[in-house]
Amino acid sequence: MSQAENTAAVEELYSGYTDQFGLDKGPVPVEPYISEAYFELEREKIFMRSWLRIGRVEQLPEPGSFFVKELEIAKASIIITRGKSGDIKAFHNVCSHRGNKVALESSGKKGRFVCRYHNWTYSNEGDLLNVPDEKSFFDFDKKQCGLTKVSCDTWNGFIFINLQREPEVTLQEFLGEFGELFGDMPTPNADNCVVIETRLKANWKILSDAFAESYHITAIHPKTIGSTFSSDKNPYSHPISAHSWGPHKQICTYGNPEYKPSPKEIVETLAYKGADMGNVLAAAQSDAVTDFTAHPAVNPTKSKEWAVDIVWTFPNVHIDLSPGGFWTHEFWPVSVKETYWQSRFYVPPAKTIRERFQQEHYVSRLLEIFVEDLTNCERTHNGVESGAKDVLYLQDGEVGIRHHLAMVAKWIEADTVKDALS
Amino acid sequence: MSEEKPLPVGFESLARFSDWCLPTTQQRWMKRCESPMEELQEFYYVMLKEADRILDYLDDFNLHDLPEPEENLFLMMLSLSNVSMAVELHGMPRAPYSPWPHGIKLLEGVAPYGS
Repeated sequence: MSQAENTAAVEELYSGYTDQFGLDKGPVPVEPYISEAYFELEREKIFMRSWLRIGRVEQLPEPGSFFVKELEIAKASIIITRGKSGDIKAFHNVCSHRGNKVALESSGKKGRFVCRYHNWTYSNEGDLLNVPDEKSFFDFDKKQCGLTKVSCDTWNGFIFINLQREPEVTLQEFLGEFGELFGDMPTPNADNCVVIETRLKANWKILSDAFAESYHITAIHPKTIGSTFSSDKNPYSHPISAHSWGPHKQICTYGNPEYKPSPKEIVETLAYKGADMGNVLAAAQSDAVTDFTAHPAVNPTKSKEWAVDIVWTFPNVHIDLSPGGFWTHEFWPVSVKETYWQSRFYVPPAKTIRERFQQEHYVSRLLEIFVEDLTNCERTHNGVESGAKDVLYLQDGEVGIRHHLAMVAKWIEADTVKDALS
Repeated sequence: MSEEKPLPVGFESLARFSDWCLPTTQQRWMKRCESPMEELQEFYYVMLKEADRILDYLDDFNLHDLPEPEENLFLMMLSLSNVSMAVELHGMPRAPYSPWPHGIKLLEGVAPYGS
């Protein structure tokens, strides 16, 4: 078969996802990326109504552990705690007295939260315990003045909150069939991660789009990972399968089964000597994550040409799965043109010199990849907001982006969350 | 250049690269991004020649309890990982077409010597 025929055959084999998702194929408008009015609707109809994934249970290793999540889009600071009984709870980080913050640290272990303004003291279960000079308040009932609760639930070790006073749907209803399929997926090395963050002058969807397709990889990442995600057989890195469940989705990307470091990449070869990483460069050896890769939802076609599953939980989190384990991306809108991004890569603790050396190589490359991906986002936003274009063109492999835009529009139009999920 | 750091016997000639004995991945990354290519290449080629010998030597030590000279030598090896991005991948100190400085930051690294 000639190269051209071969490529044509693969294009046919790895295609048809936009039809499969039941989406239009036309260009998409730029407005959702740049309109202040649209951003306000996203805030109100999505972020204030949807369950939001804000962390993992391992961030709260013991009773008294807490962390604080700043949700700028909701103008909210949320404390997530593990109480004496082990239950995980969430509260607004707001003192009942005059509204100051009760937790100033971003994480730690505390039995009590004390507001520094007047020393009002709360338990880590949210109860108001002590008010200095309490007698001077009027008809005062401490029981009514605990921290304001935020609805909180967990799924497969991931912690979610919901900012509605009474959530319209449960977390289980929100995740639906997707939640059932991935609910018992192993999460290897969930207690050990690398954390990378930045703030960018770009719309949150421009960032989440940037990590939702593999079409860009050979162009943006020619040196860092281009040859791991493409081959002569699949030169444009078409996804190997794609799946959706309500607003959530999974895009399974292609990995070159023949990948080897080029002869020029001597340190990489040295770092990965004797390590079986599957198709992608990873921080964990494959045999350590056998149960994970064997799970039916992970690499669901069990393809040998598998690199990464991009699992996009609505609205703003990716959980990426690869032969080496998993990592997450969070895309938190700050304004229509500002986003806080954080990525967590879960890796096994290094036990030996050589393992630690290999992980340094892995993290060094990750940082390069993120520089390539993220600095690209500000350029994209500037172009989109310039007014030069009314629409953008998406190809079949970019089905995740098209699906997300459709889901965002659906949630904005829906009067109730149940309608949005229908 | 800052003061030369102690290194294990047999590796003393690498002490001129003591600037690369940096305790966190973020610091090693920033130094690489801000160093001229000639310096990166010199460090890379000298270290690469010794890399197998260094790893074989350090294999006998506990990663979490390295004596100071061995720790210094290992920090140089970790820097070599980072410097290889410039020499082997980009052919320049930083990723092409990316602005500098940028605000991307490693908040928590891999232990030990990550953050």
